[in-house]
Amino acid sequence: MSLIVLSGLGVGLVFGYALQRGRFCMNSATRDSVLLRDYTLLKAVGVAILVEMIGFALLDVTGIAATAPKPFFWGANLLGSFTFGVGMVLAGACASGLTYRTGEGMVSAMVAAAGLVIGAFYTAGGFMNPIAKTLQESTIIKTAEGGSLTLANILGVPYYLLALGIAIVAIVAWVLLAKPFSLENAAARTKAAKAKGASHGWGWMTTGIVIGLIGIVAFPLSAAAGRNYPLGITDGWIGLVKGIFLGETFGWGTMLIIGIILGALVAALINREFKFRVPTSGVLFQVFIGGLLMGFGAVCSGGCNIGHTLSGLPQLSIGSIVATLAIVAGAWLTSHLIFNVFRKSPAA
Amino acid sequence: MEKTITATKTLDVCGMICPYPDMDTLATLKKMGKGEILEVILDYPLSLERIPRNLTKQGHKLLGTERIDGPKHRMFIEAYGLK
Repeated sequence: MSLIVLSGLGVGLVFGYALQRGRFCMNSATRDSVLLRDYTLLKAVGVAILVEMIGFALLDVTGIAATAPKPFFWGANLLGSFTFGVGMVLAGACASGLTYRTGEGMVSAMVAAAGLVIGAFYTAGGFMNPIAKTLQESTIIKTAEGGSLTLANILGVPYYLLALGIAIVAIVAWVLLAKPFSLENAAARTKAAKAKGASHGWGWMTTGIVIGLIGIVAFPLSAAAGRNYPLGITDGWIGLVKGIFLGETFGWGTMLIIGIILGALVAALINREFKFRVPTSGVLFQVFIGGLLMGFGAVCSGGCNIGHTLSGLPQLSIGSIVATLAIVAGAWLTSHLIFNVFRKSPAA
Repeated sequence: MEKTITATKTLDVCGMICPYPDMDTLATLKKMGKGEILEVILDYPLSLERIPRNLTKQGHKLLGTERIDGPKHRMFIEAYGLK
């Protein structure tokens, strides 16, 4: 295995460590905002996206890594990502969440990952493939040159200018409107929690900045290994299964997945948070179904929450913007149905 | 942790997936009378941070959290009395 493919393992180790310490899960981020009116993780996601937007713009303008936005096939983006959003609420984790929690010892996450892999495998090349492929091909919209549609090429401005402009406007607006820098409070809370001996992870600002920086470093390394895209989860899981069962060589994306699991394992062990945790069989069934839906959705839409939201949104890909909105819609609807309509009181 | 805390009720949400520990805790607290104390036993790190953040919105009070073993913690919460 070449050194550049091995760099995926290195990036994964750091990413997994950060995911575990930051409890960075986009399912929690999306769902908490409606269910609990808790925006902590959503803020971490927002910071990570803005950091990447600036980083990708700099990579693009310096020629280190040109953007590689995902295609826009509205039908596949809408159906796939909506299904993904429904699935992640059932699974109790997004694609990155179930990967890092696998390293933490959560059996529910391992079962959800199995569902994701099976769903993704049969959609990428098995009996579900015709549905995804037909939908993608019949609803694809390209630029006149045949490229992926982005906000930049629709408006006819250079990507780096638009990305920097959006990022700066968003940061200024955020600082003025929301006063996000209540870091002292967060630090005091962490200190108080630690004093009592309870475990505590990173604050949202730290988490967002670290994950954004990992995404920036990941892009040129992954591109050099022949996988011209920043962070992604689903392709690596498919590669893992193909490697184990079909004897294919692990690529950069698969080394990333192995790294995330190991990185999260190390983070959990250091912080006394590793434990095999097993829910009831009913919950295991639910997360497996959730994982299957996520696997189908991610492949159909051309990416999971990491591929589209974390890596695609900062590249201003229209496909990723539509996919993100569809994931959020699916997650909100499912959260509302499960927790506000059907399940008002705790199960006995 | 003060040893004097006696829980009115105990809720064990170990092994549960996101966000059931939080939802179950809040739903149980909602049904408890003012001043009653809920003991929650949980082993999910995210909920350990998220439950305290969201308790106060409904007026409940976190009395304390202590580690039992590894990620397993015990949390004492005084209900506001929404019943």
